[in-house]
Formats: sequence, C-alpha cells, structure tokens
Amino acid sequence: MGQRGFAVLLAGLLAAVAVAGQEPVTGDQAAPQRQTSQQSMPSDRAQTTRTFLGLGAEPDKAAAARGEPLFQQNCAFCHGPKARGATGPGLITSDEVLGDDHGEHLVAFLKKGRPQKGMPGFPAMSDAQLKDIAEFMHLQVELVANRGGYHVLNIVVGSAPRGKAYVAAHCMSCHSAETFAHLGSKFRSPEQLQKGWIWPSRSQNPALVITATVTTSDGATVTGRVTQVSDFRITLVNEAGEAHAVELGNGGKDKGTTVEMKDPLSAHQEMIMTLSNRDMHDVTAYLETLK
Amino acid sequence: MKLVIGAAIAAAMLAGAATPPTPHVFLDPETIGKAPTTSWATFNGDYTGTRYSTLTQIEPGNLNRLAQQWVFKTAVGAQRGAPTPVIKCTPLLVEGVLYITIPDHVWALDARTGTEIWHYDWVDHGGHLVGQRGVGIWKSKVFFLAPDNWLIALDANTGKELWKKNYADARKQYFSTSAPLIVKNHVIVGVGGDAMDMPGFLDSYDPVSGERQWRWWSTPRKGDPALKTWPNETASDHGGGMTWMPGTYDPELNLLYWPTGNTNPVFAGRGRPGANLWTEAIVALDADTGKLKWYFQVSPHDTHDFDNTTAPILFEAMVDGQPRKLLAQAARNGFFVTLDRVTGKYLVVKPYVPLDYYSGLSRNGEPIPIPDKDPSVGGSINIVNATNWQAPAFNPHTGLLYVNAVEGKAIYYLTDDSEQPSGYGGTGVGIGPEQRVLHAIDPLTGKAAWVHTYPNLENAPVTLGPSILTTATNLLITGDDQRNLIIYSADKGEVLWHHELGASESGGVISYELDGRQFIVFGAGDTLYAWALPQ
Repeated sequence: MGQRGFAVLLAGLLAAVAVAGQEPVTGDQAAPQRQTSQQSMPSDRAQTTRTFLGLGAEPDKAAAARGEPLFQQNCAFCHGPKARGATGPGLITSDEVLGDDHGEHLVAFLKKGRPQKGMPGFPAMSDAQLKDIAEFMHLQVELVANRGGYHVLNIVVGSAPRGKAYVAAHCMSCHSAETFAHLGSKFRSPEQLQKGWIWPSRSQNPALVITATVTTSDGATVTGRVTQVSDFRITLVNEAGEAHAVELGNGGKDKGTTVEMKDPLSAHQEMIMTLSNRDMHDVTAYLETLK
Repeated sequence: MKLVIGAAIAAAMLAGAATPPTPHVFLDPETIGKAPTTSWATFNGDYTGTRYSTLTQIEPGNLNRLAQQWVFKTAVGAQRGAPTPVIKCTPLLVEGVLYITIPDHVWALDARTGTEIWHYDWVDHGGHLVGQRGVGIWKSKVFFLAPDNWLIALDANTGKELWKKNYADARKQYFSTSAPLIVKNHVIVGVGGDAMDMPGFLDSYDPVSGERQWRWWSTPRKGDPALKTWPNETASDHGGGMTWMPGTYDPELNLLYWPTGNTNPVFAGRGRPGANLWTEAIVALDADTGKLKWYFQVSPHDTHDFDNTTAPILFEAMVDGQPRKLLAQAARNGFFVTLDRVTGKYLVVKPYVPLDYYSGLSRNGEPIPIPDKDPSVGGSINIVNATNWQAPAFNPHTGLLYVNAVEGKAIYYLTDDSEQPSGYGGTGVGIGPEQRVLHAIDPLTGKAAWVHTYPNLENAPVTLGPSILTTATNLLITGDDQRNLIIYSADKGEVLWHHELGASESGGVISYELDGRQFIVFGAGDTLYAWALPQ
C-alpha cells in the first residue's frame, strides 16, 4: 500500500496525534468495561454485556423458537409480533414478564389471564407450551435490552459505480490499483470492510505505524516507531528494536527538544473529518465488489 | 512520601487504635452551598457547579514543593461487570472526615491520615456497577445511592444504616450512580438507565423520614402540552431522559438546574418523531415542589446518545452593562450553551468542537439536526460525545469555563430498522483518531481563550476522568489520560506542574483547608490521593 507521509514539525508543543482504540462512543451510562469488541466473539460480547447490565436469566432460545408461532397465533394481535405493543400494551417492561425467569410465574399467569383487563386466559394450552411462550417473551426482552447482542444489518446500501468514481477521484494520488485488488475479500464482513478502508489497522500493517525523530538539546537524535507520547514523554523503538524514552520537560516547555512525527494515515484522518455518508456507502459498495 | 505514611501508621499504632475515634460530624444545612473552604459539602463543593476554590495557600510559586501526604486504596476486588473498580466520586469533606464511594461501597476516612473510620458495604440485587459519584450530607446523615436504586441514609459518624428506600425497578434497567444533592430539607435523587425505554425522573425525599416529597418526570404525562413533542403518550412514557448527574441550585431563585439524559429508544428515532421534551435538556425546577419553571432543550430529537448530562454551571456576569444571573454548559453534543438562568433564554449557543450534524439554530437557539446524520443501516458518520460526566469548572477571576473534551468520529449504525424500535436500536463504532482537548471558554462569547491538546496514541476511554478544579491563585488542576496530574495556569493554559500517578485521575478534584493547611484530594483508579505543601 503506497502512502503519503505527512511530516509534522513539533517544537515545544506536541500537536495532535492520537489513535483511538475501538471504543464504544456512547456515554458512561452505556459503556460496559471497554470491550475489545472487534476481537471478541459476538456471543461473548452478549454474555459480557448481560453480566454488566445485570439482566435476568438468559432466555432458552430453543424454547423461544418453539414458542414463537404460539405467540404469533395467540398473543401478537394485542401485544404486537415482537411483544412491543399493539392494541394492547408492550411487554418488554411488563412486571409479569420481568418477574419471571423461565415460566415459573408466567405459566400460571397465562393460564388464568387477566380477564378484568380484557386479557383472556389460555387454560387449554399445556404448561410446556406456555413456558415456550414465556421464553419467547424473555427473548424479546433480551433482543431489546442486551445491546451486546445487537448486530448491524446489511450495510451495503451505496452505489458501486459512484464509489468507483470516488476512489478514482480521491484515492489514486497516494494509492495504486494494487491497493484495491481483492480488497472486498480481505474482510470478514462489509462492516469490517467499511471500517478497514476508512481507517486501516496499524497493528496489521507495519507500514502504517507512526514514526518520530526526536532531537534533544545536545543534538542527539533518535528515530523509530512511536509507542506512546504525552506532554511529558515520548517512547519509541528504533530499527534495532531498542526502546527509548525521552522526557519532554514541563509541558514541552523544554525548547531544546524537538519531535518530528510522521503519520502515514494523516490523509485518512483528514478524509474522516469530511467524509459524507453517501460517499462512505458508495465506496463500501464498490470495494465490496472487489472480491 | 513513604516517610509520611509510615509516620502516620506509627502514630496510629502508638495510640493503640487500628481505627480513629468516632467523629462528631454535623453539617448545618444552612451552610451547604457556601464557598468551599474548610469543607467540601456537595458533589460540586457548593451549589454553583463552578468547582472553584477560594483558598490561596497553594499557588504557582510553591507548586514545586507540593507533596503527597497520604493515599487510601479501596481494594475491594472485582465487581460484577467491572474487573477493576475505579473511584469516580467527588469526595466530600466535613469536619475532618472524608466520604468517598465506589458502587456498593462508602468509606469515611480521617482526612488527616487517610485512615478508614468506617466502611459501608451494600449487597446489590441488580443495577449497573459502572460508577458512583459520591454521597450527600445533611446534619449527621450521609445519603448514598445504591446501583439497584436504593436511597440509603447512614449515620455520618458510625456508618450505621438508618433507613433505606427503593425508588426504581432495577429489572427495568433503572440504575443509580449519582450523588444526592441536599437542598434545605430535600434530598434530591436522580436516576439512570436507558436499556429498556423507561422514563426518567427526579425525586425529592425527606432527610429524616425518607418520605418522598415530589417527583418530576422527564417526559410529559397525559394532559401536558409538551406531549405534542411526542407522537403519543406511550412514546413519551418510554422516552428516557435520565437524571443521572447531580444538578446545581440557585438559593435566591429557589430553582434546581438539572441536565437530562438521552432520549429513548436511543439511536432509533423513527418511533418518536418530534423534539421529545424534556429529554436532552436543561430544566429549571422549583426545589420545593419539583414544578417545571423553564427548559432549554440542547439536543432536540437526539439520535446519537448525546446524553445532556454535563453540569449546568451558575455564574454572574455583566452583559451590556447589566448584571445577569447566567448558566453555562459544555454539552455532550458539542455545543457550548449560555442561558439566562432566570428565564431560560439563550445568550450563546456555539459549537466548541468541529460539528457537522446541524443545519442551524431554531428561533429559541436550539440546534436543528440534519436528518441525514441520523444513524442508518449503512452507517452515519458523526461526532463522538464531545465530553462526558467528568466535571468542568469556572473561574470568576479569568471569567473562563474549563472542560475536557474529545474530538473524534464514529459510525452510527441502525440495528433495528423496524417501525417500532426499542432499546438502543443501534450502535456507534469509533472510527479514526480521537483527540482529547482541554478548552478554556469565555461563556459570554462561546469562544476559546486557549486550548490544550493532549498528545496520545492510545486514548483512554472517554468516560474516565479527568475532572477539573480551579482556584483563586490562577490554578487549573486536572489530568491527562496517561496518569499525569497536571496543573495549568488558569488564564493562559501554561503547564506549571505535573506528576505521574499510579492511574489517571478518575473522580472529582477537591480542595479544602484543614489545620491551617490546604489539601488537594482526588481519586485515581482504585486509590485516593491527598496532596499539600509540607508542614
């Protein structure tokens, strides 16, 4: 992958160079312990989020699958196909549903119904059937409340020809056709592709690491891959694999030390700041065709 | 510093006592809200939210002598969903006793030595253990909110439980992290939780009996004209607007200023066309009745979890030759907002980070979102939250409001494109670099007097501190996300001092005078640190 190097001369003040991890962007109230969502399996993520949220018992998915047609036939008219309400109330936050783990209360409740509020009982159904209905309702709660189990839909919504035109107009000053060959087959999902072309992984491509040359006041220099930088210290690893830590003085006030950093992804950083949704969708649709 | 700690331990051992004697804490409710000097009596120190200390012992000329006096480690081990519990509280200090919290735990510490006086340990049945902002104090009672929505009154001197009251159902994903705010004979309690489309509320309780005095719902009920900002009552009843951060209070106007959280369903707005009042707003409520006086909605019809929970800071300023009572907020949607706090009318609504999701302001000054920037199936690229719960500060000498912000982008996907979405209904995935920036903003113009960009290659989660404290000696005390506590000059943003801690500053920074010495106390990771000039 060819790339344009951006040299940023930083004397005294160190300018913006930050590489985000894949952090959930939602608020403190929303975020479990920062999950490495890209590495972990979706089932682990759902389980971790379930624990974090303190959700109730895990629904029995096989029972819920058996209960689904029963629910659609007997309950959906009033409560909606996903138990989110229709002519009758939604059941996602129902006390009866949330007070039950695996049918131990709901089976008896469903048998009787709540005639005073117009809900019929289902005395003819077996306990096993009613338990399956209960599990279906618990699964509907799970699908709403456990965001660790959410998954994106089919994100390929753009126009491939327009995406091709965008790539030709915006990318070829740095990249060659080789960059894009079979790109669509290098990611396990369109979502990963979309993320990967906008902000390629540095960990999977050594050519993308940030490098720096640090010159201290006595004229000594060290050049290498930056492992971390703050207002007060820069750490880097040189070509020989030796780690160096250079103190930068009080907030970079030590004018004697200069730091020159190069970020091969600078052009992508600029692109992210202005990328429109349509261009993003179009390019992803185009790259998805390059299998 | 080991010497100091060692000496303290030795002194304690010589006295033959593993724990200090029972203290005699009594906080007169009339004094709550005074400028914090010999106490730090509320989450924000006083009622203004400025987090401004008038103490002058620690100043730019003696920072090189600043030294750690003691540390206290919480050390409770892993908690459910939180392998490493982090101190996210602002400590309170009353009569030489410090009160700190993490979820499920309260400690009273001797502020002279950091020695534990008592420790209260709650066994929760649900709720999220994501953070705990601290306690409230009224007379000799400490009020603590448990994750599963119990308001617990403790004896401030012994830690004994006096009474407790459950105010929300954890099974419905309500959970509590806030610090109660004490106003006169009101214990004001907010709540969190947005996984199940429940409505937010703010409660007031009697500090003696625990009886509820009033409840204000964050979304309108039947018969309220604000219902026209929702498609129907059901949507409003499930509309979110949590009150999970402490608000501020003006005793003269007897108004509480409370920030309200995100709308529900969170990312999927299809089932709730309209502005969705009073979520994502700043509301002014009568402290005695909970009645709404005015509101200003910072993010009408939010679909990005902008969760408008940063502190509304109260200050006075001359505008066009007239003294004005004002309120300013660096909102999580990236707008800086200054309002007249008597009327709620806006003076300034201006982005403080680069924004591209709004097309302008309404007649009332509310940002108008661009529908194309809503989360979508193919993804919508937009800003990350510009800040979070960590406390901003305001310095009356510089006239500047300080906030630690984040600039970055995320792709927001709609994961539920049905006509009746529920829960989050979507997700946001960070893309590219995120940059932490400290802003010093003039609230009368919304323009930055200075900014400080924190260099970093691996940003810590934006939900971890640092909070800010500013002082009468032109200090601004905060930190980066690489374990450095940093002191800047408040007027110019010059780095005056820094020190590398064991973890990044993670809770509120407070300052108080004790035995004639000024202390700076804050949590970082699982440890509470106390700093001062040597004796």
